[in-house]
Amino acid sequence: MLVIIALSFTLAIMISIPAGVVANQDSTQSLTQRFNSTIMDTEQQINQTTTLVEVSTSNGGMFSSSPSEISGFPSNMSGPPSGTYPPRSAFTLEEFDLNESVVGNISSIAGVKDVVPFLVKSSSETTEETITTPRGDFTISRPLYTITGVSLNSSLIDEYPVLPTNITAGRNLREGDSGVLLMSLNLTEYYGVGVGSEVEVNGTSFMVIGIYDQTGQGFMETRGVYMNLTDAQTTTNETGNVSRLDVYAENASCVDTINTQVQTMYSAEINSREMSVQTYADRLANLQSQQTRYTEILISAESTVAQTQSVATQEIIVALAATSLIVLFVMLYTVRERTKEIGTLKAIGFSNWSVMSQFMLEGVMLSLAAGVVGIGIATVGAPILSGVLLPAVNPFGSRNTGFQIGGLDSATSLGSSATSAVVTPSIMLLALGAAVLLGAVGSLYPAWRASRTRPAEAMRYE
Amino acid sequence: MSEAVLKTEKVSKVYTMGKREVHALSDLNLQVNKGEFVAIMGPSGSGKTTLLNVLGCLDKPTAGKVILDGVDISKLPERELYKIRRNKIGFIFQTFNLLPYLSACENVELPMEPTKRPKNERRQRARELLKLVGLSGREEHRPQRLSAGEQQRVAIARAMANDPAIILADEPTGNLDTENKYEIVRLLANLNITQGTTVVIVSHDSQVASHTERMLLLRDGRIAKEKQGLHLLKKKLMCPYCGGKIQPSDARCPSCRKRL
Repeated sequence: MLVIIALSFTLAIMISIPAGVVANQDSTQSLTQRFNSTIMDTEQQINQTTTLVEVSTSNGGMFSSSPSEISGFPSNMSGPPSGTYPPRSAFTLEEFDLNESVVGNISSIAGVKDVVPFLVKSSSETTEETITTPRGDFTISRPLYTITGVSLNSSLIDEYPVLPTNITAGRNLREGDSGVLLMSLNLTEYYGVGVGSEVEVNGTSFMVIGIYDQTGQGFMETRGVYMNLTDAQTTTNETGNVSRLDVYAENASCVDTINTQVQTMYSAEINSREMSVQTYADRLANLQSQQTRYTEILISAESTVAQTQSVATQEIIVALAATSLIVLFVMLYTVRERTKEIGTLKAIGFSNWSVMSQFMLEGVMLSLAAGVVGIGIATVGAPILSGVLLPAVNPFGSRNTGFQIGGLDSATSLGSSATSAVVTPSIMLLALGAAVLLGAVGSLYPAWRASRTRPAEAMRYE
Repeated sequence: MSEAVLKTEKVSKVYTMGKREVHALSDLNLQVNKGEFVAIMGPSGSGKTTLLNVLGCLDKPTAGKVILDGVDISKLPERELYKIRRNKIGFIFQTFNLLPYLSACENVELPMEPTKRPKNERRQRARELLKLVGLSGREEHRPQRLSAGEQQRVAIARAMANDPAIILADEPTGNLDTENKYEIVRLLANLNITQGTTVVIVSHDSQVASHTERMLLLRDGRIAKEKQGLHLLKKKLMCPYCGGKIQPSDARCPSCRKRL
C-alpha cells in the first residue's frame, strides 16, 4: 500500500510536469500569437498614418513615452485607430481643450487635406475595479465611460478611421445624426440597454442607435459612446472646444512642413504643454520602440519555455528512474520474501517462463495501480506540482517591469494559464502506458531472478 | 514381476565448498517399483535430501543416471525438467508449502494450471482429490484456517493432481504432532493400497518409516542397509502385530487394538 502511494506520487509528478509544460507552451503560443498580431496591427497603422499629423491636448495624446501609457497599447490597436481613448485613471490631469478655431487655422495651412476634430471627455462617474494579476490584486478607479464627439461629415468619416467599425447591432453613425449615439457592447451590458433605448448623458437624453464591439482592446476595455461632435460639445459644456485634431496631409512630403507650421503657430501652447503635435515620424518611432519591447518579451518568454522544457525533461527522467527503481526494489524484496513459494511453484511443475511472467505481471499491476492513483493525484494536484517543479512558469515573473510593459492583458492571461496545468486524456493514456512500461522494466530483473531460483535451494529457504 | 518406476545407476553428487569437495551421494544404486511404498532413512548429513532432490529433478546429479518412468532425467535440460516435475512427480514437503492466498481447492488445482485441461475439469478433479484425503467441505478454506494435519492433506491432494508416476515426500510428518503424524502416514498407506500410488518418503523418524514396506538406510551417500516394514502385511490386509484381518481405513487393529 505504502509502495503504491510512493509510486503514485512519482507518477503524479511525471504526469504533472508535461501538463505544466503543455500549459506553458499553450500560453506562450497564445501570447506569441497576440503579440504577433499586435505587431502586425502596428505596422498596418504605421502604413495608414503616413500622412497624419495629430494635434491634441497634451493629455489626450496616446503616444507619449510614459511607460504607463503603453499599457493602453493593445487597446489602441483594434478599436478606432487614432487616439480616441480617454485619459486613463492614472491621469488625473485637468483636461485641456483646443478651441474650434484651431481647426480653421490649421486647415488653411498649405498641404493640409483634411482636419478631423474629436472631443473626448470622460464621464464624471467612476467605477472601482479589481484586477487579479500574478502579483496580487490591484484596485483601480476609472471613468465609467468615455464620450467621443465626432464630426459626422461624410467625407471625413468615410475616408478616415474615425468611427468604430465592428457594429454588432443597429447601425453606425452617419452624417446628419443628432440626439443619437453609438454605444460599446460592454456599456450596454453595464446599463442593460439595447438598440432603441433612451439613455441620459450628462442630463441630455440620447437614443442608442447602434452597438459596437469593443473587444480586442486589451485587458480593460473602454466603455464608450460615440456621438455627433456638436451634441458632445453641448452635453459636456464644451461648446466650441475639441480635444484632438487629426490633420491629414495631401501627401507624406507635406507632413514635416505642416508639423513645423503648427509648431510655430502654437508654440506658446506647446511649450506650456497644453498642446502636443505628433507626426508619422514620431509615432513610427514610438510604435517601433513598442515593437522592439514586445519582441524582447517574446524572446524572453520563449527562452523561459525552452528552459522550462529542459528542466522538465530532467525531472521526468528522474521520475522515470525513480519509478522503475521503486518497482525494482519492491519486486526484489517480494521475490526474496517469496523464494519458498517460487521454489514450490517450480517443484510442482511451473516453467521458468510462467514464474517470470507471473512476477512481471505483478510488477506491472503494481505500477498500473499506482498509475491510476497517480492520475488521480495529478488531476487534482497538477497545477501545484507543476508550479513547484517547473521554474518561472510566467515569462513575466522574472521581470518586475512586466506589469507595465506587457500590459496587464498579457500578464494576467499568462499568470492564470500557469496555474491551469491540465491533465488531458492523452497525457493520462501516456502515463498509463508509461506505468505499464516502467512496471515491466522495473520487474524484469527481479522476475528473471525469481525464474532462475533453483527449486532445491528455494525449498530450504525459510 | 515388478516394473521399476524409478531407478538410479551409480548416482553421485559432489558439492564444492571452497576447496573442499563434499560427496553427498556416491555411486548410489536404487530401484523403486511401481506401487511400492518406500522409506529412505538416515541421520542428518547422510544425503537424504540430496537424494530426494536428485530423484525429483530439483537438482542434477554430478554423475550417474536417474531413470524415471523410462526416461533418463539426469540428461534433460531445465526447459524439459519442469514438465517431468509437473507430470511425473508429486511433491510433499515438510512445511506443506501451500500458497497462503489460495483456497485448499485452488492449491490442489495449481499443478494442473499449466496443463491444457479445462477449468471446470480441474476443479472437479481437485474436489475429488480433497474428498479422497478426507477434506470434503473444506475446499474453500485458506491454509491458515486449516490445522497442520489438514494442510498436509491438501498438499498430498496437490501432489496427486496430475496423476504422477511417483510421489516424493520430504519429511512429511516432520512438522506434525503424533496424532497427525500417524494420520498422514496412514493416508499415504491407504492411497498406496487403494490407488496404487508409488510413494517414497524421506524421514529420519523410524516409527514413521516402519509403516512403509521397505526401508533404505542411507549412510555417507550410499545405501547401507535395507529392511522390510510393516506395510507389507497391511497390503495383504493383515495386522502386522497379531495377524488379524484389517481394512485399509482402520486406524487400529480390530482384534489387538494396536495402532496401525
